Amino acid sequence: MHYMTRAGAVRAVDGVTFSVERGQSLGLVGESGCGKSSIAISLLKILPDSARILSGSILLEGVDILPLSEDEMREYRWKRISMVFQAAMNSLDPVYRVGDQIIEALELHVGSAPSEAVERVRELYDLVGLNHSFIPRYPHEYSGGMKQRAIIAMALACEPAIIVADEPTTALDVIVQDRILREMRKVRDALDMSMIYISHDMAVIAEVSDVVGVMYAGRIVEFGETKDVFENPIHPYTRALMSAFPSVTGEKRELATLPGEPPNLLAPPSGCRFHPRCPYATEECRSQPPPTVRRGVHWADCWNPPEDQSP
Amino acid sequence: MAHYLVKRSAQILLTLFVFLSLVFFIVNAQPGDVSSFYALNPDIPPETRERMQDLFGVNDPLWKQYLVHVRNTFTGNFGVSFSHYPRTVADIIRERLPRTLALFLTASVISFYLGFALGKIIAWRRGGWTEYTSTIGGVTLYTVFTPWFGLMMIWLFAFRAGWFPIGKFLDPVLWRDAPTDANAIFNRMILSAIVVSIAVFALFAVTAKRRMAHSRLIRIGGLALSALAVAAAWFATGTGYLAWDILKHMILPVATLTLISFAGTMLLTRNSMLETMREDYVMAARAKGLPEKDVRDRHVARNALLPIVTSFVFSLAFAVDGGVIIEQIFSWPGMGQTLVSAALTEDLPLAVGAFVFVGVFVLIAHLAADILYVYLDPRIRY
Repeated sequence: MHYMTRAGAVRAVDGVTFSVERGQSLGLVGESGCGKSSIAISLLKILPDSARILSGSILLEGVDILPLSEDEMREYRWKRISMVFQAAMNSLDPVYRVGDQIIEALELHVGSAPSEAVERVRELYDLVGLNHSFIPRYPHEYSGGMKQRAIIAMALACEPAIIVADEPTTALDVIVQDRILREMRKVRDALDMSMIYISHDMAVIAEVSDVVGVMYAGRIVEFGETKDVFENPIHPYTRALMSAFPSVTGEKRELATLPGEPPNLLAPPSGCRFHPRCPYATEECRSQPPPTVRRGVHWADCWNPPEDQSP
Repeated sequence: MAHYLVKRSAQILLTLFVFLSLVFFIVNAQPGDVSSFYALNPDIPPETRERMQDLFGVNDPLWKQYLVHVRNTFTGNFGVSFSHYPRTVADIIRERLPRTLALFLTASVISFYLGFALGKIIAWRRGGWTEYTSTIGGVTLYTVFTPWFGLMMIWLFAFRAGWFPIGKFLDPVLWRDAPTDANAIFNRMILSAIVVSIAVFALFAVTAKRRMAHSRLIRIGGLALSALAVAAAWFATGTGYLAWDILKHMILPVATLTLISFAGTMLLTRNSMLETMREDYVMAARAKGLPEKDVRDRHVARNALLPIVTSFVFSLAFAVDGGVIIEQIFSWPGMGQTLVSAALTEDLPLAVGAFVFVGVFVLIAHLAADILYVYLDPRIRY
């Protein structure tokens, strides 16, 4: 997926392949500006005018949704694939009651009668732990955490096969964040849905996802089961991200920061895109795209992977 | 809300008092008085002029005049017009204000509707030919020299094409044998318009609330039906031809006013829409799979409406002074003309009275905007 700008095409998502099984949750992690949210809006095809998907395919239950027309795509949105937005605070229309905004989606996709729809909203509010008395209230009467729950309730309304959660808890304090993550996991298990979590927060990703993709500069540079990726990271970028996060249970240590910024995607670096910031970069890294190192399902694109330390 | 209304009413009274005082002193600052017109008239001796000055009280000291003025205004007495003696100012305004309101309210509502609809479309489909034609056309009309444009409209549609009468409120020949006077007919016309608007508004509210299918059809059908019913009632009473005569005189000035003013609303709507379209809830609405039209109308336009309504309500307030220029060009006997002639003939009570009415309407419109906001934006509570 590219953004067409006056300065040229920004290759925000470039050569990314992944799949999510039913009931599985995938975490996408990376710094700001590495293409995580671009993947999210590509999956629902709600791109801004400047963005184009030039090639590739998005298979949803075996159907490629890329060539679908807007009218056909509407049938998939929310019913099969829904989304919890990054800015949940602003994802509710301020001039309508929250309950009505959920009913709007229900009437559209499920075609439920008004009384059934209200009943369904009650169920959803129970599911996400919101009081029924808030159904006919306006978004500004909700607190941040409640809005987030309402947004999750809305995403669940039509029982989609997959939910894309783009930074679902970033704006919340850690206590509310933890509760909401736990509830999302509970709901996912109960309804056997797939989820894609997008976050820059390693701790959140570690907690909620079965498999993890680490993104850098529009690419997935490392992918694998959560345990493998976090315990035996291969890619230097993953290791840098990990060492930038404190561990609550582990020993106290100086947090390492990763100098520099993600590259300008108008002209991505040659070879390995991480080489300008990589402490292990060699001549090969600068000139040749890195090979894929595989350790079971766990893989990473790197020229100089560390020794395999797994037992 | 009640507390707020009381507070605002007190504010309004205070503002009105300051406004009254300013208007009084500014109007009195001009030299001469109503009798100056007769200074050069050999038929009116100086004694008569003095008696005239005594009668109207213009020789009293200014502070005394001011006190009388304030007391009278707050007791609802606007005095007697000097130039239309012995008609009272209130009587003249009661006759002129509805004419001005009818003309300018109609034009404001039409141009608001047109501007909003066009602004919505050009914001949604940027870069199309609709955007270029309506933007260039709208801005040209918006910035055109109003007197010239009014005269061109008269020349083109009244003089050359002969479709409409050239100015004035009615055709005197037609009214010579009329059973009732123009004011009675006109008041009944206003009443009819109010009935039709209430019917249409109710229909809009019901169809929007129930989210009915074919809501557009029901609305347009309802509008046509109620308009037809009112027209039938008019012709049944046998005064329909008189109402039609006044209506015919209204079309050209209303069209002119609409054309020169819709671009303001259009561009404001466009900008407000473009800003709202970037909001996250709009992306959420699209992600929900809503049809484009619903995203545009229910979510984007509904939120974009808020700043536009403010400017609309304020423009309504200024409908009262009725664009002096337009009323002059179309010889429309409304408040604008009244103001000009009162100022020219030193008819101070009439000038002050007309100004006070403009002020009262501006203040009321502001209050109305505040109250309307409570219904439009649930976040606002007083």
